[in-house]
Amino acid sequence: MPVKALYDYDFPSADRAELFGDDQLVYVHWDGNPLFCSAACFRAPRAMPFGEFVTQLVVPWAASDPDFDPGAIQEWRLFDEPLAAAPGRSLADLGIRHKALLHFTVPQITG
Amino acid sequence: MSERNGMTGTLRQVGIDLQDAEENRGLVDAIKADNPELTIRHLPGLLKLQAAGRLVINRATVEQKLGREWDTGEFQLAIVSYAGNFSEWDDDQIIVSWEH
Amino acid sequence: MTQAAPQASTTKAKTRKLPLKERYALLTRDLDWEPSYVGREQLFPYTSYEGIKVHDWDGWQDPFRLTVDAYYKYQAEKDKRLYAVLDSFAQSQGHLSLSDASYLNAIKLFIQGVTPLEYAAHRHFAYLARYLEGPAPRFAALCQSVDELRHCQTQIHTISNYNKYYGGFHSWSKMHDRVWYLSVPKSLFDDAMSAGPFEFLISISFSFEYLLTNLLFVPFMSGASFNGDMPTMSFGFSAQSDESRHMTLGLEAIKFLLEQDEANVPIIQGWIDKWFWRAYRMSALVAGMMDYMLPKPVMSWKEAFELYFEDQMLGGLFPDLDFYGITPPRHVEDAIAEKDHLSHQVYKILHNFSFAAAFTTQTPSEEHSRWLAAQYPATYERLYKPVWDKHARAEAAGGRIFFQGLPQLCQVCQIPMAFTEPDDPGRISFRRSQYRGETFHTCSNGCQWVFEREPEKYVQAWLPVHQIYQGHCGGATVPEVLRWYGIQDGDNGEYKGSPDARSWAQWHAAAPAQGV
Repeated sequence: MPVKALYDYDFPSADRAELFGDDQLVYVHWDGNPLFCSAACFRAPRAMPFGEFVTQLVVPWAASDPDFDPGAIQEWRLFDEPLAAAPGRSLADLGIRHKALLHFTVPQITG
Repeated sequence: MSERNGMTGTLRQVGIDLQDAEENRGLVDAIKADNPELTIRHLPGLLKLQAAGRLVINRATVEQKLGREWDTGEFQLAIVSYAGNFSEWDDDQIIVSWEH
Repeated sequence: MTQAAPQASTTKAKTRKLPLKERYALLTRDLDWEPSYVGREQLFPYTSYEGIKVHDWDGWQDPFRLTVDAYYKYQAEKDKRLYAVLDSFAQSQGHLSLSDASYLNAIKLFIQGVTPLEYAAHRHFAYLARYLEGPAPRFAALCQSVDELRHCQTQIHTISNYNKYYGGFHSWSKMHDRVWYLSVPKSLFDDAMSAGPFEFLISISFSFEYLLTNLLFVPFMSGASFNGDMPTMSFGFSAQSDESRHMTLGLEAIKFLLEQDEANVPIIQGWIDKWFWRAYRMSALVAGMMDYMLPKPVMSWKEAFELYFEDQMLGGLFPDLDFYGITPPRHVEDAIAEKDHLSHQVYKILHNFSFAAAFTTQTPSEEHSRWLAAQYPATYERLYKPVWDKHARAEAAGGRIFFQGLPQLCQVCQIPMAFTEPDDPGRISFRRSQYRGETFHTCSNGCQWVFEREPEKYVQAWLPVHQIYQGHCGGATVPEVLRWYGIQDGDNGEYKGSPDARSWAQWHAAAPAQGV
């Protein structure tokens, strides 16, 4: 249902991909850890290798939880599908596009 | 006229919430006098007045209780909230009721 | 001592010649005229494009019948009474009688989040006072515009006393326009103000000022009363009599429009569905406040929701509206399903992020946890106490856990996406939509529905997290962003050990010079 207006109501979106240049926004959720109120939002280069994305961006955030063990991250998902998380491949290569949502779990963590 | 609850036939409660202030005592006494089935609940700073279907405020009664002249407009200063509709508000009377 | 009750028929000095109804008509709607110098459509260009049909503006009822002279007389009286209380509280160092300095975090949230909305409402009702076609609703809108300015001003005066002694109050207006959690109320009102006049009446006058007003307002005012905050409590009572008129305008607006033409019914239903959900999501901030920020709590969010919404509105108002073919709001079942969870999930957000807020938060004490467990027997100990226990362990070891990053925000309500599935509180509720090849995330069925109904509008949202990442918020580091926000050291973070907490302890430490 289009917005009712007295003129042609057509405006660009505020967070479209081109505004981030070579970078993009990626969300990451630590499934099953209620210590974090929500998923986190990161800005990262599309060409960033996944391994660097994890060590430079995800790990420092996940370490907000004093019980976090970086070596225990497993079961990456891209939206609802399992993600084969090859550390050397770029985000773009892995199909992780602008505003994608990733999930991971860590076994035996109690929030 | 569907002021009545269809299932049980009871009238729906209308209500007004008034500030529990000294100057409203006469007003509350008048409302009690003109609405025999009125219930009053006391909360901190608040009086919750309820009646089935209809609640009426008569200027003449309020003036009698206050011992002075009173405009129905002064009710503005006393009211906190209400449940129902103001179906009448003129120089002599204020009525709160449900329409349907 | 008794005095003879005066006879009613002789009490009037007969300075008035006309009954109230006629006086009111002469001084309001009878001042209207048919334009001869421009067409009606030129004079009122905004009242057709929403598709709402009005055949007879004279059908608008105004039960309060306040003429301008009466309006100013009563409003001046209310102001006089309020300012006397404010002066007295300030002069007697009343702030020292608050339950605790931590209570004021609720009032910081209020002046940052709510007071600017009063100003926005003032502006928009002034616009309606010009552009609604009927003289009766124009006059009602004019009175409300002046009321809302009064509320803005009196809130500022009421709360200004606390600014002398406590942090977080100093830059509320600037913060409203910039700070992440304040984009929640700001964007709600921007959404309403950028809609048409009739949608505004349903969004603010009806959904905000009638349907949800008690849920939004009473928790702050009762909280004030229970926690020794006489100024805010007095402001609340002072404003409440204005709110009766606002409630009446909201109810009259919806009934008038429903009665004017059957074609209006589905349009209005759509607006009720949208605006119940938008205002309900915003009220989540109130839920977090009333369950976690009041040292002396009044009632739980769950109890307030059951009383003020389920009983009074679903049980009282909607049966009335059923007459017109209006049904309870879409997604209301999700709101009911959330009532055991909402406040805990919101306070988790505020606790995670108060390092970037103009208020402080703290892990609930054991005593407060007992109260929460009693209010929420089905959920608190199972789902939320374990998280607070973990925070308590970290703090006992000298730490304090914050969310070291930026959250994912909902595209519509702009709250961090902390809400869970209605049927599974262990899973965050993720919804997404595509528009012109771009992905948009929402937090719930309600927000997703709102987004997909008007995507052209919501894709323009100024989302604080995304704006920070675009470099629009002062820089790439937390200190730079806090500086841009106007947040000063001590405004933010953990309550224990904060400047407010230390001042409080200091002011209450000295024993009286003479024995009691």
